[in-house]
Amino acid sequence: MAVLKRNLRLLARHPFNMAGLVLMPLYQTLLPSLLLGASFLVGGRALGLGRLAGTVDLAGFLFTGAFVGSLIGGTFLGTWVSLSSDINTGTLVTSWLSPARRSAIALGDALAGLIISGTAGLILLGVGELAFGARLAGTAVLALPALLICLVALAGLAQLVAAFVLRVREAGAAVDVASYLAVAASCVLFPLAALPGALQPAALALPTTYALDLLRVAALGTSPHLPIGWEYVGLVATTVAMVTLGWLAFAGTERWLRRSGSIGLH
Amino acid sequence: MSSREILADLRALGASSLKEWRIARRYPHEYVSLVFWPLVMPGVFLLQATGFGAGEPRALGAFAARAGTGEVAGFLYLGGIMYLWISILLWGPGTALRREQERGSLEALFLTPASRLVLLFGPAPASLIPTVWVFVVVMLTLRFGFGIPIRPEELLRAGAVVLLAIPALFGTSALFSAAVVRFREIRAGVLMARGLCQLVCGIAFPVAVLPGWAQALAYALPPTHILADLRAVLLTGARLSDLGPSLAVLAAMAVLACVAGAAAFGRTVAAARRTGSLGQF
Repeated sequence: MAVLKRNLRLLARHPFNMAGLVLMPLYQTLLPSLLLGASFLVGGRALGLGRLAGTVDLAGFLFTGAFVGSLIGGTFLGTWVSLSSDINTGTLVTSWLSPARRSAIALGDALAGLIISGTAGLILLGVGELAFGARLAGTAVLALPALLICLVALAGLAQLVAAFVLRVREAGAAVDVASYLAVAASCVLFPLAALPGALQPAALALPTTYALDLLRVAALGTSPHLPIGWEYVGLVATTVAMVTLGWLAFAGTERWLRRSGSIGLH
Repeated sequence: MSSREILADLRALGASSLKEWRIARRYPHEYVSLVFWPLVMPGVFLLQATGFGAGEPRALGAFAARAGTGEVAGFLYLGGIMYLWISILLWGPGTALRREQERGSLEALFLTPASRLVLLFGPAPASLIPTVWVFVVVMLTLRFGFGIPIRPEELLRAGAVVLLAIPALFGTSALFSAAVVRFREIRAGVLMARGLCQLVCGIAFPVAVLPGWAQALAYALPPTHILADLRAVLLTGARLSDLGPSLAVLAAMAVLACVAGAAAFGRTVAAARRTGSLGQF
């Protein structure tokens, strides 16, 4: 909780960073995607998207994707920024010497990242509705259980990212690439059917793919990739796998750092 | 200016470019990212386009009418080249002077007898190496990955467009560099400039879908013309003579951008001399 409060206080000192969390996805990804989609419109309707995804609401499709994309990006970049800041300022050693569990410190960073990016994602959804004509049904709240399970998965992912950053140290470029690939593979910007067949299993191995699909089904009435029951089975199974992998990776990295004595190196 | 001074400045220009290249080659992993991003970033937009088109003939026809070509992969990957070229210029020569200022070496450079134009334009030529790399990666991808026929004469025409584009983009990056030194902000400046280009230059979508005022802004920027000409010669088989007016506009923009960049830098330096702020950061 202390780590969570610290990170939120740091963000409050830089309000423009929060604005950047909303503006950057908007002009880097959403607006170009909307305009690309507009170039395929026939009589103002997204016929192609309707055929593949079951909705012609281009803005709704993209902004719901942006919401989950924010959570994914926030997990990767929030964890990396927080940890690399601690490494570079030399405060990581001090934190790890405290009686708090190291995994709890990493979890605090993850929760802060999720709250911040989740807020940015909700603002983006609002922008989509008010300014871009996204029509999100009130039934979107039916996806809340799926999103909550997804948050657990993302906490596991944060542990995995933390383990990687602690091992590699100069991890910025790799985290950037991994974040981009995770967002792309989660079908944030396109329907699953647009992926080549060989890549679809990779998308279905991510809990975020199921969570986003369930959100779109609830909010836009799209056709689900799998029957809803199986989507939840897939979501829970991949979440358990992600949390386990994250926990194992972090525990292994912690052991390695203690043995090698390299916690203070950067 | 005597011929001796001009030769001395040319030598200084070469030394400046060589310095940038020597620094860049210490980070060979950057070239790995210059294989990844040219392939993956347009690839994601291509997957989007696949989703939006979905084999629906009317949707694909609508795109072709707006883009001037039905070759979606070629359209997006050439856009990717432009995006990365802009990024290379903004992060490289566009911020070189500011980085010298942060390191404290800008004043030492000003004390040399080299012309201020050497300082402004010197870092730019080294950026051509990663740019050519990106071009090669994308051309190979289009030819062998997507089976887009690219004939040697089309490549030569594209080369001619690129040659004309170089001074236009160098001038734009010089203007940006002067602004960055003046306002002392690298990251925000790069993100804003790159964001603007991404939104209006037709990198990931046809300019025709933009509202009228945005199209006017688009056509005031060199990357829009460069990209349109590259797409025309490589995807529709246009000849250079067909692009005469566009190439003339590009040439005029090159002159304007270089003059504006030099003038802006001159004003920045003059202001820094009055206020003594050249070494501040």
